[in-house]
Amino acid sequence: MPPKGSEASPPPDNPRSFFTVPTPIKQLFDKFPLTTYPTNALPQHSLSQATGNQLFVFTDAAGARRGRPSFNPQCLKWQAYLKFVGIDFKTTPSNNHASPTGALPFLIPSTPEDTLVPIPSHKLQKWAIEQVHCEEEQQLNLRFEAYASLLDQRIRSAWLYMLYLDPANFEAVARRLYVDPATTSSAVRTALGVQLQRAARDELLRTSRYIDAGDLEVDAGSAFGALSTLLGEDEHFFGRPKPGLFDASVFAYTHLILDEGMGWKHNRLAQLLREHDNLVQHRARVLQFF
Amino acid sequence: MLQLHVWGPAFSLPSIDAQCLATIAYCALALPAGSWELVASSDPSVSPTNELPSLRNGSVWVSRFRNIVDYLRQYSDGAWNLDVELGGQELADSVAFTSFVESRGQPLVDLSLYVTSQNYYSDTSPAYGSLLQWPNQWILPPKLHSAAKARTIQLGLSSLDLKAMEDARQREHSAAVAAGQIPKNLIQRPRETVSGLLGRTAQQNQFRLEALTAEFFEPLEAMLGRKAYLLAPDEEDRPTSLDCIALGYLSLALVPELSFPWLRDAMRTKAPRLAAYTERMRGRCFGSTATSIENAFAPSTSASPLPWRAPERISAAAVGTTLLNTLADSTPFLREVRQHNRLKRVAESPDAGFSEQESKAISQHAEASKMDMYVSIATVVGGLAALVGYVVHTGLISWESEEAEEEESAGTEELSFQASDFLGI
Repeated sequence: MPPKGSEASPPPDNPRSFFTVPTPIKQLFDKFPLTTYPTNALPQHSLSQATGNQLFVFTDAAGARRGRPSFNPQCLKWQAYLKFVGIDFKTTPSNNHASPTGALPFLIPSTPEDTLVPIPSHKLQKWAIEQVHCEEEQQLNLRFEAYASLLDQRIRSAWLYMLYLDPANFEAVARRLYVDPATTSSAVRTALGVQLQRAARDELLRTSRYIDAGDLEVDAGSAFGALSTLLGEDEHFFGRPKPGLFDASVFAYTHLILDEGMGWKHNRLAQLLREHDNLVQHRARVLQFF
Repeated sequence: MLQLHVWGPAFSLPSIDAQCLATIAYCALALPAGSWELVASSDPSVSPTNELPSLRNGSVWVSRFRNIVDYLRQYSDGAWNLDVELGGQELADSVAFTSFVESRGQPLVDLSLYVTSQNYYSDTSPAYGSLLQWPNQWILPPKLHSAAKARTIQLGLSSLDLKAMEDARQREHSAAVAAGQIPKNLIQRPRETVSGLLGRTAQQNQFRLEALTAEFFEPLEAMLGRKAYLLAPDEEDRPTSLDCIALGYLSLALVPELSFPWLRDAMRTKAPRLAAYTERMRGRCFGSTATSIENAFAPSTSASPLPWRAPERISAAAVGTTLLNTLADSTPFLREVRQHNRLKRVAESPDAGFSEQESKAISQHAEASKMDMYVSIATVVGGLAALVGYVVHTGLISWESEEAEEEESAGTEELSFQASDFLGI
């Protein structure tokens, strides 16, 4: 097949040649683009009014004004941690699509003023240590990482199941907090809801062949037991005089599980958690920071 | 007689899977000899939950390490329990470090045995080939390989997978040729050997792997200290369930002779006491001699400290079921339906250990998930219908002309002309 001739002069006597686009499809693509919209303005307002550090979290407008705890465990963990180490900040409602890393929370620091470099969540601790010279708590106790894995694995899995895969809770809590504020279109809401549930299911199926709700609850129960033993009679974890990163991680789950405002329909985790009085009291102590 | 079904032996260990190794170690330490036997069935479909390790007692099947440990304790009224002497603080440590070992150890073992491609193709894949029966040896390894890749994808170390990188490079290369952007003989052929590629990616990965292995080994090394076992209470010389779990993951890191032994090297340099502890535990639980395939499949001819029993030969019906299941699992929409059905069946079977309320909740969940899928199918179909409707509505395609064209092309002359055109004559 000679490559030169075929493009320069399509054979007019053979309209059904292999390389010509069929007429209906050509007509269809001639119509595109149907409409060209003017470009969106840059989101200047959120940056121009920034006076201090801004932490972007999952929250609603009223909660952000009063600095209430976020309803997302990851966001609440860092929100609480920054409060504990004494860094001033304002919370701003946001969502995953607005984040440079695709995950919340992230922080836009007030200094240096001219460069607005967002700090993603996995670098927040390093940033906080640079700001206020607090200690890096992971280094102080060899049990830190082991007990943190209880929160990151077992309690998180049970949380994912309870929030996204329990149908009653998904309708009452997750849909109200994550899906409905994102859009008013019911079709998009349906699609978002399906996506959220599928993501949670895939996450749980990654470590096991099938999802066993009973196993998840038993694991979460033993995890709460271990955390309760670790806390013991102390005010804060690892016997620290003031709360730190580990307290923030525990509080992020215990607060949301026990919070009446979440509107849980089935709350098996709260039953398991209430068996351990010291964890419930720990949550009440930490809540006073807000 | 209790039967423990596991993945078969490999790398001179009794099993290729960490959870199975942990369960074998637990049974070897806790159960009296003669009360149990070990079956290297290497086929998850033997158990109703589709998981190994699985303990069978008559008609009762229990799967997963922790469930088996709980079941053994209840079954023996507390006699077969390695954790019986632990106090409150030690039990809490046991729970926390078990979760730590599982969550940090599994990705490292996955990276070492499956994602690192020269290890997978020269060691792991042949090991599966010898321990699996036909036709599972063709079906299961690719499944396990992709599951391991999916589990480790968030670590950002996929460049260890040289085979996949090479494939992607080849595709880009041939795509560039096909697009005709560059004349074929001008394309620079990157003459990279595997070792060259490895040297470069190994450097890039080095820092990440250093951090990952240090995060895993150093807390365990510190926890072990000068003790004989991780949680040895006082002077007692008795391992616990945490030691079994640790042995499962650490022995898979330490023992296999791999082509690219980065995990073993890291363990020996970062945690020498942990390596010695792993060898000691291995000798105590699995015997001092290396386990071979013959031990598992022909236990009468070879001596082994573990109570092996030869697995049953795979039946024709089982082969048929396996092939059918594989076919169904690789069909897009069918796969989703089957996943949800599996969840539902497990919940509804009365001996699966669910209370009535839980069963109801899980069945409800499975129904809801099925609804999700129907919604997504309906979305796709609806979208297509809308597009076709729009096209017809605006008159871009008119049916009359289409029919006329079809009549035209029905002629034999037209057909032969097209064929010669197609051949490029």
